[in-house]
Amino acid sequence: MTGKIVVDFGLCESNGICMGIIPEVFDLDDEDYLHVLSDDVTPENEQQIREAVRQCPRQAISIEESS
Amino acid sequence: MTKPQVVFDPFSDAYFNDPYEIYLRMQDDAPVYYSEEFDFYALTRHADVAAALKDHETYSSTRGCDLAMVQSEEGPQKSIIFMDPPEHRVLRSLVNKAFTPRAIQSQRETVEQLVDHYLAQVDPDNFDVIQDFSGPFPVEVITRMAGVPEEYRQQVRHWIDTSLTREPGNIGYTEAGMQAAIDSGMYYYKLAQERRANPQDDMISRLIAAEIVGEDGQPRKLDDIEIAGFTSLLGGAGAETVTKLVGSAVVTFAKNPEQWQMLLDDRSKVPAAVEEMLRFDGPVHYNVRFTLKDAQLHGTTIPAGKPVFLMKAAANRDPRAFTDAHVFNIDRDRTEAQNLGFGYGIHSCLGAALARLETTIAVERLLDFMPRYEVNWDGLEKVHMQNVAGYHHVPVKVLR
Repeated sequence: MTGKIVVDFGLCESNGICMGIIPEVFDLDDEDYLHVLSDDVTPENEQQIREAVRQCPRQAISIEESS
Repeated sequence: MTKPQVVFDPFSDAYFNDPYEIYLRMQDDAPVYYSEEFDFYALTRHADVAAALKDHETYSSTRGCDLAMVQSEEGPQKSIIFMDPPEHRVLRSLVNKAFTPRAIQSQRETVEQLVDHYLAQVDPDNFDVIQDFSGPFPVEVITRMAGVPEEYRQQVRHWIDTSLTREPGNIGYTEAGMQAAIDSGMYYYKLAQERRANPQDDMISRLIAAEIVGEDGQPRKLDDIEIAGFTSLLGGAGAETVTKLVGSAVVTFAKNPEQWQMLLDDRSKVPAAVEEMLRFDGPVHYNVRFTLKDAQLHGTTIPAGKPVFLMKAAANRDPRAFTDAHVFNIDRDRTEAQNLGFGYGIHSCLGAALARLETTIAVERLLDFMPRYEVNWDGLEKVHMQNVAGYHHVPVKVLR
Protein backbone atom coordinates (compact mmCIF):
# COMPACT_ATOMS: atom_id res chain seq x y z
CA MET A 1 0.00 0.00 0.00
CA THR A 2 0.92 3.64 -0.14
CA GLY A 3 -0.26 6.35 2.20
CA LYS A 4 0.50 9.58 3.99
CA ILE A 5 1.27 10.18 7.63
CA VAL A 6 -1.15 12.56 9.33
CA VAL A 7 -0.40 14.03 12.76
CA ASP A 8 -3.06 15.75 14.83
CA PHE A 9 -0.96 18.51 16.38
CA GLY A 10 -3.74 19.34 18.81
CA LEU A 11 -3.34 15.90 20.33
CA CYS A 12 0.45 15.56 20.08
CA GLU A 13 2.22 16.25 23.38
CA SER A 14 5.77 15.62 22.26
CA ASN A 15 6.25 12.34 24.06
CA GLY A 16 8.70 11.37 21.36
CA ILE A 17 7.75 7.70 21.26
CA CYS A 18 7.42 7.88 17.47
CA MET A 19 10.87 9.45 17.18
CA GLY A 20 12.23 6.59 19.27
CA ILE A 21 10.76 4.08 16.86
CA ILE A 22 11.67 5.72 13.56
CA PRO A 23 13.77 8.89 13.84
CA GLU A 24 14.13 9.09 10.06
CA VAL A 25 10.46 10.05 9.89
CA PHE A 26 9.57 11.73 13.19
CA ASP A 27 11.71 14.43 14.79
CA LEU A 28 11.19 16.63 17.85
CA ASP A 29 12.98 19.95 17.61
CA ASP A 30 14.49 21.94 20.47
CA GLU A 31 11.18 23.66 21.05
CA ASP A 32 9.42 20.32 21.44
CA TYR A 33 7.59 20.60 18.13
CA LEU A 34 7.16 17.42 16.16
CA HIS A 35 8.23 17.44 12.54
CA VAL A 36 7.32 14.77 10.05
CA LEU A 37 10.49 14.61 7.96
CA SER A 38 8.87 12.55 5.24
CA ASP A 39 5.17 11.81 5.22
CA ASP A 40 5.24 8.98 2.69
CA VAL A 41 4.45 5.51 3.93
CA THR A 42 6.61 3.10 1.96
CA PRO A 43 6.94 -0.68 2.05
CA GLU A 44 10.29 -0.15 3.81
CA ASN A 45 9.02 2.02 6.65
CA GLU A 46 5.41 0.90 6.87
CA GLN A 47 5.87 -1.55 9.71
CA GLN A 48 7.70 0.94 11.91
CA ILE A 49 5.22 3.71 11.16
CA ARG A 50 2.32 1.43 12.10
CA GLU A 51 4.15 0.67 15.34
CA ALA A 52 4.48 4.41 16.00
CA VAL A 53 0.76 4.87 15.31
CA ARG A 54 -0.10 2.11 17.77
CA GLN A 55 2.31 3.15 20.49
CA CYS A 56 1.52 6.87 20.46
CA PRO A 57 0.03 7.37 23.92
CA ARG A 58 -2.03 10.26 22.59
CA GLN A 59 -3.22 8.44 19.46
CA ALA A 60 -2.17 11.54 17.52
CA ILE A 61 -0.73 9.81 14.44
CA SER A 62 -2.72 8.20 11.66
CA ILE A 63 -2.14 6.97 8.15
CA GLU A 64 -4.29 8.33 5.36
CA GLU A 65 -4.43 5.45 2.95
CA SER A 66 -4.55 6.00 -0.78
CA SER A 67 -5.46 3.14 -3.03
CA MET B 1 -22.06 -28.74 38.44
CA THR B 2 -21.38 -25.31 37.00
CA LYS B 3 -18.60 -23.26 38.53
CA PRO B 4 -19.63 -20.21 40.53
CA GLN B 5 -19.90 -16.98 38.59
CA VAL B 6 -17.08 -14.50 39.04
CA VAL B 7 -18.02 -11.55 41.25
CA PHE B 8 -16.33 -8.18 40.80
CA ASP B 9 -17.31 -5.85 43.62
CA PRO B 10 -14.93 -2.87 43.43
CA PHE B 11 -15.64 -1.98 47.06
CA SER B 12 -15.16 -5.40 48.66
CA ASP B 13 -12.34 -6.80 50.77
CA ALA B 14 -11.98 -9.73 48.36
CA TYR B 15 -11.23 -7.28 45.54
CA PHE B 16 -8.88 -5.05 47.54
CA ASN B 17 -6.91 -8.09 48.69
CA ASP B 18 -6.40 -9.83 45.35
CA PRO B 19 -7.76 -8.05 42.29
CA TYR B 20 -5.67 -10.00 39.77
CA GLU B 21 -7.33 -13.38 40.37
CA ILE B 22 -10.69 -11.73 39.82
CA TYR B 23 -9.46 -10.05 36.61
CA LEU B 24 -8.30 -13.38 35.13
CA ARG B 25 -11.67 -14.95 35.74
CA MET B 26 -13.50 -11.95 34.30
CA GLN B 27 -11.35 -12.11 31.16
CA ASP B 28 -12.06 -15.82 30.70
CA ASP B 29 -15.67 -16.10 31.83
CA ALA B 30 -17.17 -12.63 31.52
CA PRO B 31 -15.30 -10.34 29.09
CA VAL B 32 -18.31 -8.03 29.24
CA TYR B 33 -18.94 -8.21 32.95
CA TYR B 34 -22.26 -6.97 34.31
CA SER B 35 -22.92 -6.23 37.97
CA GLU B 36 -26.57 -6.60 38.82
CA GLU B 37 -25.95 -5.24 42.28
CA PHE B 38 -24.50 -1.91 41.14
CA ASP B 39 -25.80 -1.83 37.53
CA PHE B 40 -22.44 -1.31 35.82
CA TYR B 41 -20.41 -3.07 33.12
CA ALA B 42 -16.67 -3.83 33.14
CA LEU B 43 -14.16 -4.57 30.36
CA THR B 44 -10.96 -6.42 31.24
CA ARG B 45 -9.38 -7.76 28.04
CA HIS B 46 -6.54 -5.69 26.63
CA ALA B 47 -8.03 -5.32 23.15
CA ASP B 48 -11.39 -4.21 24.55
CA VAL B 49 -9.98 -1.76 27.09
CA ALA B 50 -7.56 -0.19 24.59
CA ALA B 51 -10.33 0.21 22.00
CA ALA B 52 -12.72 1.72 24.55
CA LEU B 53 -10.09 4.21 25.80
CA LYS B 54 -9.72 5.44 22.21
CA ASP B 55 -13.47 5.61 21.56
CA HIS B 56 -14.62 8.68 23.48
CA GLU B 57 -17.67 8.98 21.24
CA THR B 58 -19.07 5.83 22.84
CA TYR B 59 -17.34 5.87 26.22
CA SER B 60 -17.71 9.39 27.56
CA SER B 61 -15.92 11.00 30.50
CA THR B 62 -18.48 13.75 30.98
CA ARG B 63 -20.33 12.02 33.78
CA GLY B 64 -17.20 11.49 35.87
CA CYS B 65 -14.74 8.66 36.20
CA ASP B 66 -15.84 6.81 39.30
CA LEU B 67 -19.05 4.91 39.87
CA ALA B 68 -20.66 7.21 42.43
CA MET B 69 -20.14 10.21 40.15
CA VAL B 70 -21.39 8.52 36.99
CA GLN B 71 -24.51 7.34 38.80
CA SER B 72 -25.23 10.62 40.56
CA GLU B 73 -28.07 12.79 39.31
CA GLU B 74 -26.30 16.14 39.24
CA GLY B 75 -23.12 14.98 37.45
CA PRO B 76 -19.56 15.94 38.34
CA GLN B 77 -18.01 19.35 38.77
CA LYS B 78 -16.35 20.81 35.69
CA SER B 79 -12.91 19.28 35.40
CA ILE B 80 -10.57 18.31 32.58
CA ILE B 81 -10.85 14.60 33.35
CA PHE B 82 -14.63 14.84 33.13
CA MET B 83 -14.67 16.27 29.60
CA ASP B 84 -14.85 15.00 26.04
CA PRO B 85 -13.53 16.83 22.99
CA PRO B 86 -13.60 19.68 22.10
CA GLU B 87 -13.71 21.12 25.66
CA HIS B 88 -11.10 18.66 26.85
CA ARG B 89 -8.57 19.75 24.24
CA VAL B 90 -8.92 23.42 25.16
CA LEU B 91 -8.13 22.85 28.83
CA ARG B 92 -5.41 20.28 28.27
CA SER B 93 -3.56 22.63 25.96
CA LEU B 94 -3.27 25.12 28.83
CA VAL B 95 -0.98 22.84 30.80
CA ASN B 96 0.51 20.16 28.55
CA LYS B 97 3.56 22.16 27.46
CA ALA B 98 4.83 21.99 31.06
CA PHE B 99 4.72 18.19 31.07
CA THR B 100 6.50 17.11 27.88
CA PRO B 101 9.46 14.79 28.49
CA ARG B 102 11.82 17.61 27.55
CA ALA B 103 10.14 20.22 29.75
CA ILE B 104 10.02 17.87 32.68
CA GLN B 105 13.81 17.49 32.66
CA SER B 106 13.86 20.86 34.43
CA GLN B 107 12.46 19.06 37.48
CA ARG B 108 15.30 16.55 37.70
CA GLU B 109 17.36 18.43 40.28
CA THR B 110 14.31 19.06 42.46
CA VAL B 111 13.37 15.39 42.36
CA GLU B 112 16.90 14.25 43.17
CA GLN B 113 17.15 16.63 46.11
CA LEU B 114 13.80 15.54 47.54
CA VAL B 115 14.51 11.84 47.10
CA ASP B 116 17.88 12.20 48.81
CA HIS B 117 16.39 14.35 51.55
CA TYR B 118 13.76 11.81 52.55
CA LEU B 119 16.01 8.79 52.15
CA ALA B 120 18.65 10.39 54.39
CA GLN B 121 16.15 10.58 57.23
CA VAL B 122 14.98 6.96 57.35
CA ASP B 123 16.17 4.27 59.74
CA PRO B 124 17.69 1.52 57.54
CA ASP B 125 16.76 -1.12 60.13
CA ASN B 126 13.07 -0.37 59.95
CA PHE B 127 11.37 2.12 57.71
CA ASP B 128 8.11 2.40 55.85
CA VAL B 129 8.68 2.87 52.13
CA ILE B 130 5.28 4.52 51.71
CA GLN B 131 4.99 6.76 54.75
CA ASP B 132 8.66 7.73 55.03
CA PHE B 133 9.66 7.91 51.37
CA SER B 134 7.36 7.40 48.39
CA GLY B 135 4.49 9.26 50.05
CA PRO B 136 6.27 12.48 51.00
CA PHE B 137 8.44 13.20 47.93
CA PRO B 138 6.16 13.18 44.82
CA VAL B 139 3.58 15.50 46.35
CA GLU B 140 6.34 18.05 46.96
CA VAL B 141 7.33 18.05 43.29
CA ILE B 142 3.89 18.48 41.78
CA THR B 143 2.50 20.94 44.33
CA ARG B 144 5.63 23.03 43.93
CA MET B 145 5.06 23.14 40.17
CA ALA B 146 1.41 23.98 40.78
CA GLY B 147 2.24 26.80 43.19
CA VAL B 148 1.23 25.47 46.61
CA PRO B 149 3.34 27.08 49.35
CA GLU B 150 5.76 24.73 51.08
CA GLU B 151 3.94 24.54 54.41
CA TYR B 152 0.81 23.10 52.76
CA ARG B 153 2.40 20.53 50.45
CA GLN B 154 2.25 17.54 52.80
CA GLN B 155 -1.28 18.52 53.85
CA VAL B 156 -2.32 18.06 50.22
CA ARG B 157 -1.22 14.41 50.39
CA HIS B 158 -3.30 13.72 53.48
CA TRP B 159 -6.37 15.33 51.92
CA ILE B 160 -6.03 13.12 48.84
CA ASP B 161 -5.53 9.94 50.86
CA THR B 162 -8.55 10.62 53.02
CA SER B 163 -10.85 11.65 50.19
CA LEU B 164 -10.12 8.57 48.02
CA THR B 165 -10.60 6.07 50.85
CA ARG B 166 -13.63 3.79 50.53
CA GLU B 167 -15.01 1.64 53.32
CA PRO B 168 -15.73 -1.90 52.14
CA GLY B 169 -19.27 -2.07 50.82
CA ASN B 170 -19.62 1.68 50.35
CA ILE B 171 -19.27 3.34 46.95
CA GLY B 172 -19.13 6.99 48.08
CA TYR B 173 -17.01 9.22 50.30
CA THR B 174 -16.46 8.38 53.95
CA GLU B 175 -17.44 11.16 56.34
CA ALA B 176 -13.80 12.12 56.85
CA GLY B 177 -13.28 11.89 53.09
CA MET B 178 -16.08 14.36 52.41
CA GLN B 179 -14.58 16.77 54.94
CA ALA B 180 -11.11 16.40 53.35
CA ALA B 181 -12.57 17.11 49.90
CA ILE B 182 -14.28 20.25 51.23
CA ASP B 183 -11.19 21.44 53.12
CA SER B 184 -8.99 20.88 50.09
CA GLY B 185 -11.43 22.64 47.77
CA MET B 186 -11.64 25.64 50.11
CA TYR B 187 -7.87 25.80 50.38
CA TYR B 188 -7.32 25.82 46.61
CA TYR B 189 -10.10 28.36 46.13
CA LYS B 190 -8.40 30.70 48.58
CA LEU B 191 -5.03 30.08 46.92
CA ALA B 192 -6.52 30.92 43.49
CA GLN B 193 -7.78 34.23 44.89
CA GLU B 194 -4.38 35.00 46.41
CA ARG B 195 -2.59 34.30 43.14
CA ARG B 196 -5.09 36.39 41.21
CA ALA B 197 -4.12 39.34 43.41
CA ASN B 198 -0.43 38.48 43.39
CA PRO B 199 0.68 36.25 40.47
CA GLN B 200 3.81 34.07 40.77
CA ASP B 201 5.79 31.93 38.34
CA ASP B 202 3.67 28.82 38.84
CA MET B 203 0.95 26.82 37.15
CA ILE B 204 -1.93 28.26 39.10
CA SER B 205 -0.94 31.79 38.03
CA ARG B 206 -0.67 30.67 34.41
CA LEU B 207 -4.16 29.19 34.59
CA ILE B 208 -5.44 32.50 35.96
CA ALA B 209 -3.85 34.39 33.07
CA ALA B 210 -5.01 31.94 30.38
CA GLU B 211 -7.86 32.71 28.05
CA ILE B 212 -10.02 29.97 26.57
CA VAL B 213 -12.85 29.93 24.06
CA GLY B 214 -16.10 29.53 25.95
CA GLU B 215 -19.19 27.55 24.97
CA ASP B 216 -20.65 30.65 23.29
CA GLY B 217 -17.54 31.01 21.11
CA GLN B 218 -16.38 34.09 23.03
CA PRO B 219 -13.00 34.21 24.80
CA ARG B 220 -13.21 33.91 28.55
CA LYS B 221 -11.05 33.36 31.63
CA LEU B 222 -11.28 30.43 34.01
CA ASP B 223 -13.08 31.24 37.25
CA ASP B 224 -11.65 30.55 40.69
CA ILE B 225 -13.66 27.36 41.15
CA GLU B 226 -12.35 25.95 37.86
CA ILE B 227 -8.79 26.91 38.79
CA ALA B 228 -9.13 25.40 42.27
CA GLY B 229 -10.48 22.17 40.76
CA PHE B 230 -7.72 21.97 38.16
CA THR B 231 -4.92 22.58 40.66
CA SER B 232 -6.39 20.12 43.11
CA LEU B 233 -6.57 17.50 40.36
CA LEU B 234 -2.91 18.03 39.40
CA GLY B 235 -1.90 17.59 43.03
CA GLY B 236 -3.87 14.39 43.37
CA ALA B 237 -2.95 12.80 40.08
CA GLY B 238 0.70 13.71 40.45
CA ALA B 239 1.25 12.54 44.00
CA GLU B 240 -0.41 9.38 45.20
CA THR B 241 0.13 7.55 41.92
CA VAL B 242 3.94 7.58 42.11
CA THR B 243 3.64 6.90 45.84
CA LYS B 244 1.85 3.64 45.11
CA LEU B 245 3.92 2.70 42.08
CA VAL B 246 7.18 2.87 44.07
CA GLY B 247 5.68 1.10 47.10
CA SER B 248 4.27 -1.75 45.03
CA ALA B 249 7.57 -2.06 43.19
CA VAL B 250 9.51 -2.58 46.43
CA VAL B 251 7.13 -5.44 47.27
CA THR B 252 7.34 -6.90 43.75
CA PHE B 253 11.14 -6.80 43.72
CA ALA B 254 11.24 -8.48 47.16
CA LYS B 255 9.23 -11.33 45.66
CA ASN B 256 11.47 -11.37 42.56
CA PRO B 257 14.97 -10.74 43.96
CA GLU B 258 16.68 -11.89 40.77
CA GLN B 259 15.08 -8.90 39.00
CA TRP B 260 16.49 -6.51 41.64
CA GLN B 261 19.88 -8.15 41.11
CA MET B 262 19.59 -7.52 37.36
CA LEU B 263 19.18 -3.81 38.12
CA LEU B 264 22.11 -3.82 40.54
CA ASP B 265 24.21 -5.38 37.79
CA ASP B 266 22.99 -3.06 35.06
CA ARG B 267 21.53 0.32 35.94
CA SER B 268 20.68 1.05 32.33
CA LYS B 269 17.72 -1.29 32.81
CA VAL B 270 15.99 1.03 35.30
CA PRO B 271 13.75 2.79 32.73
CA ALA B 272 12.62 -0.59 31.34
CA ALA B 273 11.99 -1.76 34.91
CA VAL B 274 9.79 1.29 35.53
CA GLU B 275 7.66 0.37 32.51
CA GLU B 276 7.33 -3.20 33.77
CA MET B 277 6.43 -2.01 37.27
CA LEU B 278 3.69 0.05 35.70
CA ARG B 279 2.40 -2.89 33.70
CA PHE B 280 2.67 -5.50 36.43
CA ASP B 281 1.26 -3.58 39.39
CA GLY B 282 0.49 0.00 38.38
CA PRO B 283 -1.44 2.29 40.69
CA VAL B 284 -4.47 3.11 38.54
CA HIS B 285 -6.61 0.01 38.20
CA TYR B 286 -9.59 1.45 36.38
CA ASN B 287 -11.47 4.48 35.18
CA VAL B 288 -15.21 4.54 34.71
CA ARG B 289 -16.84 5.85 31.54
CA PHE B 290 -20.48 6.40 30.56
CA THR B 291 -21.90 4.99 27.32
CA LEU B 292 -23.40 7.61 25.02
CA LYS B 293 -24.64 4.89 22.64
CA ASP B 294 -25.00 1.11 22.56
CA ALA B 295 -21.75 -0.83 22.37
CA GLN B 296 -21.52 -4.35 20.94
CA LEU B 297 -18.82 -6.70 22.26
CA HIS B 298 -18.51 -10.48 22.35
CA GLY B 299 -22.17 -10.92 21.47
CA THR B 300 -23.33 -8.67 24.30
CA THR B 301 -24.84 -5.21 24.05
CA ILE B 302 -23.87 -2.58 26.58
CA PRO B 303 -26.84 -0.22 26.39
CA ALA B 304 -26.42 3.54 26.17
CA GLY B 305 -26.43 5.35 29.51
CA LYS B 306 -24.47 2.79 31.56
CA PRO B 307 -21.31 3.08 33.65
CA VAL B 308 -18.46 0.96 32.22
CA PHE B 309 -15.32 0.17 34.19
CA LEU B 310 -12.28 0.17 31.89
CA MET B 311 -9.90 -2.09 33.80
CA LYS B 312 -6.40 -1.04 32.75
CA ALA B 313 -4.69 -3.12 35.41
CA ALA B 314 -6.53 -6.21 34.16
CA ALA B 315 -5.65 -5.41 30.54
CA ASN B 316 -1.99 -5.05 31.48
CA ARG B 317 -2.04 -8.65 32.74
CA ASP B 318 -4.09 -10.08 29.90
CA PRO B 319 -2.47 -13.34 28.68
CA ARG B 320 -4.02 -12.61 25.26
CA ALA B 321 -1.79 -9.53 24.97
CA PHE B 322 1.39 -10.37 26.88
CA THR B 323 3.52 -13.51 26.99
CA ASP B 324 3.64 -14.80 30.59
CA ALA B 325 1.50 -11.84 31.58
CA HIS B 326 1.61 -12.76 35.27
CA VAL B 327 5.37 -12.89 35.40
CA PHE B 328 7.32 -9.78 36.45
CA ASN B 329 10.11 -9.49 33.90
CA ILE B 330 11.98 -6.23 33.40
CA ASP B 331 13.49 -7.60 30.18
CA ARG B 332 10.16 -8.34 28.55
CA ASP B 333 9.42 -7.41 24.94
CA ARG B 334 7.56 -4.14 25.35
CA THR B 335 6.34 -4.02 21.77
CA GLU B 336 3.95 -6.95 22.29
CA ALA B 337 1.13 -4.69 23.40
CA GLN B 338 0.51 -1.15 24.55
CA ASN B 339 1.14 -0.67 28.28
CA LEU B 340 -2.11 0.88 29.51
CA GLY B 341 -0.66 1.95 32.86
CA PHE B 342 -0.80 5.60 31.80
CA GLY B 343 -4.05 5.15 29.92
CA TYR B 344 -4.33 5.63 26.16
CA GLY B 345 -5.77 8.30 23.90
CA ILE B 346 -7.08 11.73 24.79
CA HIS B 347 -7.08 11.26 28.57
CA SER B 348 -3.71 9.48 28.73
CA CYS B 349 -1.68 10.60 31.70
CA LEU B 350 -0.60 14.23 31.42
CA GLY B 351 2.18 13.66 33.95
CA ALA B 352 3.60 10.46 32.46
CA ALA B 353 7.05 11.95 31.86
CA LEU B 354 7.19 13.36 35.39
CA ALA B 355 6.08 10.02 36.86
CA ARG B 356 8.77 8.22 34.85
CA LEU B 357 11.44 10.68 35.98
CA GLU B 358 10.45 10.49 39.65
CA THR B 359 10.19 6.72 39.67
CA THR B 360 13.46 6.23 37.81
CA ILE B 361 15.33 8.45 40.27
CA ALA B 362 13.61 6.78 43.24
CA VAL B 363 14.59 3.29 42.02
CA GLU B 364 18.19 4.35 41.30
CA ARG B 365 18.57 5.79 44.79
CA LEU B 366 16.92 2.75 46.40
CA LEU B 367 19.40 0.49 44.58
CA ASP B 368 22.19 2.44 46.26
CA PHE B 369 20.47 2.61 49.62
CA MET B 370 19.22 -0.96 49.91
CA PRO B 371 21.02 -3.31 47.52
CA ARG B 372 19.70 -6.08 49.75
CA TYR B 373 16.54 -5.70 51.79
CA GLU B 374 13.66 -7.61 53.25
CA VAL B 375 10.00 -6.72 53.55
CA ASN B 376 8.27 -7.26 56.88
CA TRP B 377 5.40 -9.19 55.28
CA ASP B 378 3.20 -9.04 58.41
CA GLY B 379 3.32 -5.26 58.33
CA LEU B 380 2.16 -4.87 54.72
CA GLU B 381 -1.14 -3.08 54.48
CA LYS B 382 -3.08 -2.33 51.31
CA VAL B 383 -5.13 0.78 50.68
CA HIS B 384 -8.89 0.55 50.28
CA MET B 385 -9.44 3.19 47.68
CA GLN B 386 -11.36 3.66 44.50
CA ASN B 387 -9.61 3.75 41.09
CA VAL B 388 -6.18 3.20 42.61
CA ALA B 389 -4.55 0.25 44.33
CA GLY B 390 -1.35 -0.23 46.27
CA TYR B 391 -0.06 -0.20 49.80
CA HIS B 392 -0.50 2.07 52.76
CA HIS B 393 2.44 0.55 54.63
CA VAL B 394 5.49 -1.27 53.26
CA PRO B 395 7.87 -1.87 56.17
CA VAL B 396 11.40 -2.69 55.04
CA LYS B 397 14.72 -3.57 56.62
CA VAL B 398 17.99 -2.99 54.79
CA LEU B 399 20.25 -6.05 54.98
CA ARG B 400 23.97 -5.58 55.42
